[in-house]
Amino acid sequence: MEKYSLRKADLNRWIDSMIDRCQVFVPSRIEEEIFFSPVDEAPEMDLLGGTAVLPYLPPKDIVFPQSEILFSYSGKGEETKVEVPEGPKRGLVILGIRSCDTQGIFWLDQFFQENFNDFYYSRRRNKVTLVTIACNQPAKNCFCICCQGGPFLGSESQNFDIQLISFQDGYLVECNSTQGKELIDMRPDIFFPPEAGMEEIRFHLEEESQKKFLPAPTSYMSTAIRRITSNGIPPELWTELGERCFDDGGCSFVCPCCSCFGVGYLANDGKGYHYRYWDSCGYAGFTREVSGHNPREEKGERFKRRFFHKLSYQYLKKDGRIGCVGCGRCITACPGEVTMPLVVERIRKAQEAKYFK
Amino acid sequence: MDNNYLPRFVRIVGIQTETYDTKSFELEFVESSAKEGFRFRPGQFIEAAVLGVGEAPFGLASNPNHPLTFRITVRAVGSVTEALHQLKIGEWVGIRGPFGNGFPFDEVKGKNILFIGGGIGLPPLRSLIEPMLDARSEFQDIQILYGARTPADLVYKDRLLEWEKMKDLRFMMTVDVGDATWVGEVGVVTTLFPKAEIKEENTVVFVCGPPIMIQFVIQELIHLGFSPGNIISTLERYMKCGIGKCGHCAIGHKYICLDGPVFSYQEMMKLPEKVV
Ligand SMILES: Cc1cc2nc3c(=O)[nH]c(=O)nc-3n(C[C@H](O)[C@H](O)[C@H](O)COP(=O)(O)OP(=O)(O)OC[C@H]3O[C@@H](n4cnc5c(N)ncnc54)[C@H](O)[C@@H]3O)c2cc1C
Ligand code: SF4
Ligand code: FES
Repeated sequence: MEKYSLRKADLNRWIDSMIDRCQVFVPSRIEEEIFFSPVDEAPEMDLLGGTAVLPYLPPKDIVFPQSEILFSYSGKGEETKVEVPEGPKRGLVILGIRSCDTQGIFWLDQFFQENFNDFYYSRRRNKVTLVTIACNQPAKNCFCICCQGGPFLGSESQNFDIQLISFQDGYLVECNSTQGKELIDMRPDIFFPPEAGMEEIRFHLEEESQKKFLPAPTSYMSTAIRRITSNGIPPELWTELGERCFDDGGCSFVCPCCSCFGVGYLANDGKGYHYRYWDSCGYAGFTREVSGHNPREEKGERFKRRFFHKLSYQYLKKDGRIGCVGCGRCITACPGEVTMPLVVERIRKAQEAKYFK
Repeated sequence: MDNNYLPRFVRIVGIQTETYDTKSFELEFVESSAKEGFRFRPGQFIEAAVLGVGEAPFGLASNPNHPLTFRITVRAVGSVTEALHQLKIGEWVGIRGPFGNGFPFDEVKGKNILFIGGGIGLPPLRSLIEPMLDARSEFQDIQILYGARTPADLVYKDRLLEWEKMKDLRFMMTVDVGDATWVGEVGVVTTLFPKAEIKEENTVVFVCGPPIMIQFVIQELIHLGFSPGNIISTLERYMKCGIGKCGHCAIGHKYICLDGPVFSYQEMMKLPEKVV
């Protein structure tokens, strides 16, 4: 890993250089919300500091768009012509992504690139470089600390390109990949060797940040993992949690780790299209079969499925981490408040309640 | 990098009407580069697309030893399946695959083989029956029990008659409800068990059919002392991608399209959802 220091005043100059060569996504205010948006001039600096800024949606749509044409076709028989839309031509930079979302992208990498490597995912992903900012100050719904999701990368995970650690008037820059190095090499004039003492301060900042989680209600994953793994949760608890679900799929769409999709077919102007779109295991139609039979007709069954995927040891072993990075977005999204921390807490506390003897 | 979402095109070279709602299609690649035909294992499946309509999964139903043309047998139940039924010889279909794990073959050499098929469950079994008959001496007894709702629901009637006559194959069939012309057995497929003199020793069973039939057959086999590891069946789920990405077919951490569709009953029992 290579380390540098970067003055805050120089960050915008660096971003300007990136914009010349790449499409750069940064957290940007749109009305009252914050979204990752492509920018053509240097962005608002207050969203790029040490305080956690979580855009309403994770940047997963940059690698896995909400809907995407797989191919189009026209003609019949010998005249059949199939076309695949082009992928991104320029490099893509996601700057100001936090540790949790960075881990989310690496989770998607693992999933989309195992077995059959997903063509559409990979051709976008291969163009993307991530510039993560560590969180010195978590936001109110954050619980990455319970999910090996943050608040800093490096100790929890080596998976990142560049991590910026925010100091008073500068950043400590940790570069961990050749893609990251290419970005730094765009402006060798503004990157300097780290100043004396920066490294100690870095670990101090990380420790201080970790302490800030403790008073907040955090999740204790291990009990939930154990009970879900052994299929030991009584159906009534799932039913009860499921009853609070509004069937809106929101938790899946805001989740940096959710990757399920549907495939649709449409025809327009003499051309047909196969396209895919985000789907959710929370929907009743997700598993309904042609006969009308649905193996997961009950909401509780669908709930169980969602949390099995996120928390079972079977998946943990396959994927190397649980399917939640602790970003807390489902807390914002879920109208029924059946969020990751709540479900984990209910499973844990159910011990004393009627469900476990 | 391969794009596993793109179909390759096949031409329909034969259509056989099997029943009032089921047809078989013989397919052949249109690309001249696909000279060797289609390499697949018994029990694998393809996604077949009728452009303009959509795509659906179908079990491969022909003998993998004859890969120049291959067969799917399709029951018309909805948009894609009905659109397939409208197609004529010479028309094109887009296919992806083969996908899925397929049946064990080398692993069960030297064993007695028992096939139990129900209705439209016979086609996927046929992709295993035929290559086993090609390698007949490598297996002990081979026995096929086939059941359908009515005589009109039996598929591959010509082939059934040939199987009936074969000396080194024991074949029996039955229908739930007979009709005026039916002189054969009547009753659900498990009623054949006593007459078929099924024996558990050194036997592997392959079961395919509607879920309710699979359920009763497995119960009965367990009752007769078969071990769950020697009962092999297939699972079906609503599928979209066929390559383990869309998530629709997942049960626990198993993906029917990747880890299946073939599972032993022992493996099925380990899944966190009830499947049979
Ligand atoms: C591994 C595997 C192998 C298979 N092999 C074969 C085979 O060899 N032969 C074969 O015939 N079939 C096979 N099938 C089943 C076959 O894939 C389905 O019959 C096919 O997908 C139906 O597609 P369709 O477009 O014709 O039906 P659709 O148009 O999708 O649906 C048909 C009917 O179901 C209803 N329906 C559809 N979706 C819903 C929903 N979400 N809620 C309520 N109702 C709904 C529709 O209204 C319609 O009446 C296999 C399936 C799998 C998974
Ligand atoms: S489950 Fe909720 S908290 Fe966890 S990563 Fe997904 S949206 Fe964030
Ligand atoms: S069909 Fe998409 S994951 Fe199995």
